[in-house]
Amino acid sequence: MDELLLSKIRLGVIAELLNAAWIAFSDLQQATQTTNGNLGAHLGKLVEAGYVEEEKAFVNRRPQTRYRLSKKGRAAFVGHVRDMQRLLEKESAS
Amino acid sequence: MESLTASQARDHIEMVDKILTRSERSLCVGGEFFVAWGIFGALVTLVIQLVVSGRVPSSAIAVLPVALIAAVLFSALRGRQLGRRADGLSLIQREFFVVLWISLGVAAFSDFAGYQIFTTWASSAIWNVAAAIVLFFIASHGNRRAMVCGIIMLGSIAAANFVPHYTGYILAAGMLFGYAGFGLVSLIARD
Repeated sequence: MDELLLSKIRLGVIAELLNAAWIAFSDLQQATQTTNGNLGAHLGKLVEAGYVEEEKAFVNRRPQTRYRLSKKGRAAFVGHVRDMQRLLEKESAS
Repeated sequence: MESLTASQARDHIEMVDKILTRSERSLCVGGEFFVAWGIFGALVTLVIQLVVSGRVPSSAIAVLPVALIAAVLFSALRGRQLGRRADGLSLIQREFFVVLWISLGVAAFSDFAGYQIFTTWASSAIWNVAAAIVLFFIASHGNRRAMVCGIIMLGSIAAANFVPHYTGYILAAGMLFGYAGFGLVSLIARD
């Protein structure tokens, strides 16, 4: 399994980004129901690993940070979900 | 290396399923709005075509405000009903509504502000273009039905261009089969 995606919050962030182009930090925060600092830390790890791309821009003179899923992140997510499904299959077989 | 227990894995997969279902729902909910506005859009163009070709008296245009009120009332009531049921807008729904309102807003502004530029069929065609943009946005999220319906809408513009006496009929058909048709197949697929 992907160690970075063992965290439920990081996995949730990747799932939120899966079907969208760019998502603003505030929208991600609302979707994942986490605090600023907590989400920021998780996103930092995802960006550092290259799973998520970050872009900082000014919208209506206000700074806005938005994120999108990278190819690497998409592949990691698919692999991780597959591994979790295998684990459940193994468990139900035993 | 850290790992998950089967119970944690089940919990994580359930969360992912929930998020993905919520994301996909956005592009399925609202089929009825496409049907209502697609029929209204087609009706406007059809009535104008029938009046222009002398098949119905110009007083037939009076049916359009009634149809507009019906479409607005239906959208408002149905929107309220769905709003009560839905657990908030998903991120992709918000993105969709931004694209929807920008496309239709730009078309409305251009049509009304540029009424001397966008006359008769140009006025109808600009709504077909806006509707096609909305459908292609949906298609960009992996919806093939929206792709087909968007192509129908663009095809109607291209076809109407070459059939001068039937321009309105073809644009109306594009709106009916492209926009309302997309709504209808989405509703059928949802059920």
